[in-house]
Amino acid sequence: MGRLTAIDGGLFTTIQDSGRPGYRKFGVPVSGVMDQKSFRLANWLVGNSKRYPVLECTMKGGKYTFNDEAIIAVTGALMHPKINGEEVPQNQSLKLNTGDELELGFSTRGCRSYIAIKGSLTIKQVMGSCSTYTMGKFGGFKGRKLKSGDVIEWDETKSKDLTRKAPYDQIPYFSSKVRVRIMKGVEWDWLSEESQDGFSGTQFEVSSSSNRMGIRLEGHSLRVPEREMISGPVLPGIIQLPPNGNPIILMQDGQTIGGYPRIAKVLDEDLWRLGQVKPGDKVSFSFT
Amino acid sequence: MGLPSLYRNGQNWVSEVLGEHALLVRPENEELEHIHKLISEMEGAGLEGIIDIVPAYSSLAVFFDGSKWDHHTLIAEIENLSEGKSSVKAVQNMIEIPVCYELGMDWKDVIRQTGLEKEQIIELHNSKIYTIAMMGFIPGFIFLNGLDAKLAVPRKSTPRTGVPAGSIGIGGNQTGMYSLESPGGWNIIGRSPKSFFDSSKNPPTLLKAGDKVKFTSISEKEFHRG
Repeated sequence: MGRLTAIDGGLFTTIQDSGRPGYRKFGVPVSGVMDQKSFRLANWLVGNSKRYPVLECTMKGGKYTFNDEAIIAVTGALMHPKINGEEVPQNQSLKLNTGDELELGFSTRGCRSYIAIKGSLTIKQVMGSCSTYTMGKFGGFKGRKLKSGDVIEWDETKSKDLTRKAPYDQIPYFSSKVRVRIMKGVEWDWLSEESQDGFSGTQFEVSSSSNRMGIRLEGHSLRVPEREMISGPVLPGIIQLPPNGNPIILMQDGQTIGGYPRIAKVLDEDLWRLGQVKPGDKVSFSFT
Repeated sequence: MGLPSLYRNGQNWVSEVLGEHALLVRPENEELEHIHKLISEMEGAGLEGIIDIVPAYSSLAVFFDGSKWDHHTLIAEIENLSEGKSSVKAVQNMIEIPVCYELGMDWKDVIRQTGLEKEQIIELHNSKIYTIAMMGFIPGFIFLNGLDAKLAVPRKSTPRTGVPAGSIGIGGNQTGMYSLESPGGWNIIGRSPKSFFDSSKNPPTLLKAGDKVKFTSISEKEFHRG
């Protein structure tokens, strides 16, 4: 058994895994990591199964004391990890000794970092997943973000040390201008021809009220069709158009049923990019 | 978008792409009973590679494993699935929900907008039998059909940031229950001491779309006893 203690949980650090599908009919969102790509890379770097839970840090990672030795990896947003005050590289396995302190600072690129620990975090599954859903106060560590004093444990796998480094072409570059591919949504035809023509090509700005539920866009409000919408199923990637005309891209903790027109959907394959946008970044869309 | 419609249970269903691995189907008459019937037939068939079947008011979504299905093979499967012999009504449960109407937070607004006395509103609200239309948008939120038209009240213009768990509300021509504390814009007319969502259980609730619900009025004393 290995253990770490949070000295400072950062801005918003939660336990996440590949998600909680299968419970949407009860209103339970799928949750899980916002950036699948960096998540998988982190687990690969420490030799874990690709679905194992990790720590997802948002904007600022926090500080953790390792009460036991561990092999870890940090991927995703650039948070300049330090071990005992000394900067260490991301995207490769790192060896920590008992008593070492890991610190992740403010992100200078991207929004979310992932810390994978070799072995399996001893987090009780809720409906088949370790993912934290903070709004429902369940999953992960007590259904909430980490704070000072929290202790996370893992089952040590007594295998030999491991040194892995991500190939250069596997490390994504997080730009503050993101272009993602979309397909038409169920209510795409509700938009005026003018709105349709202008949609791909318009640059939207990421609002500071964005979170794991949705990326809120501003800077270019669209005309809202005057039609009554009957609430219908939605999923991560769906772009909704609320009455104020500012599109919302639903993300991992997004609701299961939505009452706004579903004008488009970001392709699953590109969704991880949106897990890395932060307030002020620019987002645009292109049809495949 | 480019998907064939399908014919089932005596009517046409429009099918649409909701996502790369999600199909949306909608009965042309948009009747809830047809949606619930198809869901129970699909669940009964126990198809492999079907991840979620989600009912909504006028449509249902099927989330599928992309290595086993695509939109077209799934449409064909739904069309050919054998029709359930029993009617939907045979599998509906009746759930009684105790409500303390004294704990409503929006009585003033509801009385003003309906033009009715509080007692009349309570009487109209707990004399009806409702149908669970769906659950969502958040865990355990229960949307009920069957509200008396005289009780329809528009949603609050500014939603509350925290509606207590167990709250019973009116939103437009629907009534419903918040199982978890959450933000919300419905007019709250009462609270139930019972919870119908428990994340530590699997499944987290025994309720399902299509079930029937009846409210019974309880006092504040009874509410606090649980």
